Amino acid sequence: MFNWMRNKRMFVLMIVFILFVAVLGFSISDRKKLSWPENFIMDSTGFLQELIYRPAGYILGLFGDLANLQEVYKENEQLRITAAAYARDKINYNQIEQKNIELMEALEFTERQKGSNKYKYLIAQVVSSSTDPYNPTIRINLGSKDGIRTNMVVVTTKGLVGLISRVDPFYSSVMPITELDVRSPDSKGIAATVLKEGAAQEEQESFGIIDSYDKDTGMLMMSKIAESDKLKKGDTIITSGRGNVFPYGMVIGTVENRQVGDFGLTHTATIEPAADFEKLTNVFVVQMPNMEENEQ
Amino acid sequence: MSMQRIIVVMLLFFLSEGTIFYWLLPDSLTGRVVPHFILAFVLFAAIYRNRHTALILGLSFGLLQDLAFYGKIIGVHSFTMALVGYTTGLLMERRRSTMLMAMSMIVMSTLVYDTVVYFIYSVFKLTHGTFEWALLHHILPSLFLQIGFSLALYVPIRRWFESSGKKKSDEEEE
Repeated sequence: MFNWMRNKRMFVLMIVFILFVAVLGFSISDRKKLSWPENFIMDSTGFLQELIYRPAGYILGLFGDLANLQEVYKENEQLRITAAAYARDKINYNQIEQKNIELMEALEFTERQKGSNKYKYLIAQVVSSSTDPYNPTIRINLGSKDGIRTNMVVVTTKGLVGLISRVDPFYSSVMPITELDVRSPDSKGIAATVLKEGAAQEEQESFGIIDSYDKDTGMLMMSKIAESDKLKKGDTIITSGRGNVFPYGMVIGTVENRQVGDFGLTHTATIEPAADFEKLTNVFVVQMPNMEENEQ
Repeated sequence: MSMQRIIVVMLLFFLSEGTIFYWLLPDSLTGRVVPHFILAFVLFAAIYRNRHTALILGLSFGLLQDLAFYGKIIGVHSFTMALVGYTTGLLMERRRSTMLMAMSMIVMSTLVYDTVVYFIYSVFKLTHGTFEWALLHHILPSLFLQIGFSLALYVPIRRWFESSGKKKSDEEEE
């Protein structure tokens, strides 16, 4: 019944199966550098997708805009008001910045301390977006040649969108923060705090870690909040910048409610994300000044 | 239509999945209706050509999809598409394939494909939803798209695969 032909086929099948399990297990890890075939395929598909995504976005986005012209008009109105406020604040800001620099000089700050809050915002165009529900990766057109590294933060004008998960020479993959999960093997937590008007980075009191996303309710979960913490509903949550992995001050969302955590020792809060994750065209990659030094 | 042309058409459909199709889909349906255009081509290849073509197409285009959107893991789509393509080819080898037969085969295979993908992701702990949730959330909605897509392109794709396969299939029968 089992002639040698069948057996050979069986054998090949087993080898292929084992090979696949090995590849799956290997690719899941946190890899800093990708091999050249991966780079080649990722870059060339990225290039071709880039040619399609933008025109499609423009044309279909135009139809969307025409459909809700009334809202666009309102949005325009609001933008004008913000622009006016911006012009006023800019003057104020320039004065304060000047003063800040003078004070830093007077207090003899080191170069590293001076530059620690100077983030570079690299603008990137979205090239394509995965439709796989388990892996909603967004591809952007900046890569390692532009100074992108893994774990850099990606934001839009509204707030935090995701983290860079894979980098190849000219394009890179962004993992949206909707994929954060404590239980996953590559789980990441973002240290977060409450935005307070007129408080410095060191004076932040609240602390928690954004580490998962509830797909059913569309809310982020912030855990490890101390019981005595003053965090309350309606607060704006920003990244705290502690640990120097993620930058300080990126808006994550607003607190929806707060409850006692699983073990009763700490509290958790549900946070409504500020950014949209659908149909993105332009995003910013935040480059931290000390990140490059660490790499070298 | 030669195999090279079919591959070019498949590439175009692959590129449209993450770009044009993504923009055409309303916001509320993204992540729920998942396009499986490449899988449809692979299944047509399995039904109207032979299982080896389906195996190779599934393996290579699956790998392309894995790499193009590499975020977590490589090889899920490659493995599953090759597996589903090959088994469909094996089942349909000695049968006359009518349109109804082909359609029911595509529906079954797409369901099997999504199920296997779900289980691979859950074995590696990359998804934590239950299977019922996955079924209702995206597997069934995307099945409707798959039926619509394969019905719309049934006639041309069948013609392409059958016309390009005639010369070769005679030799392979022996």
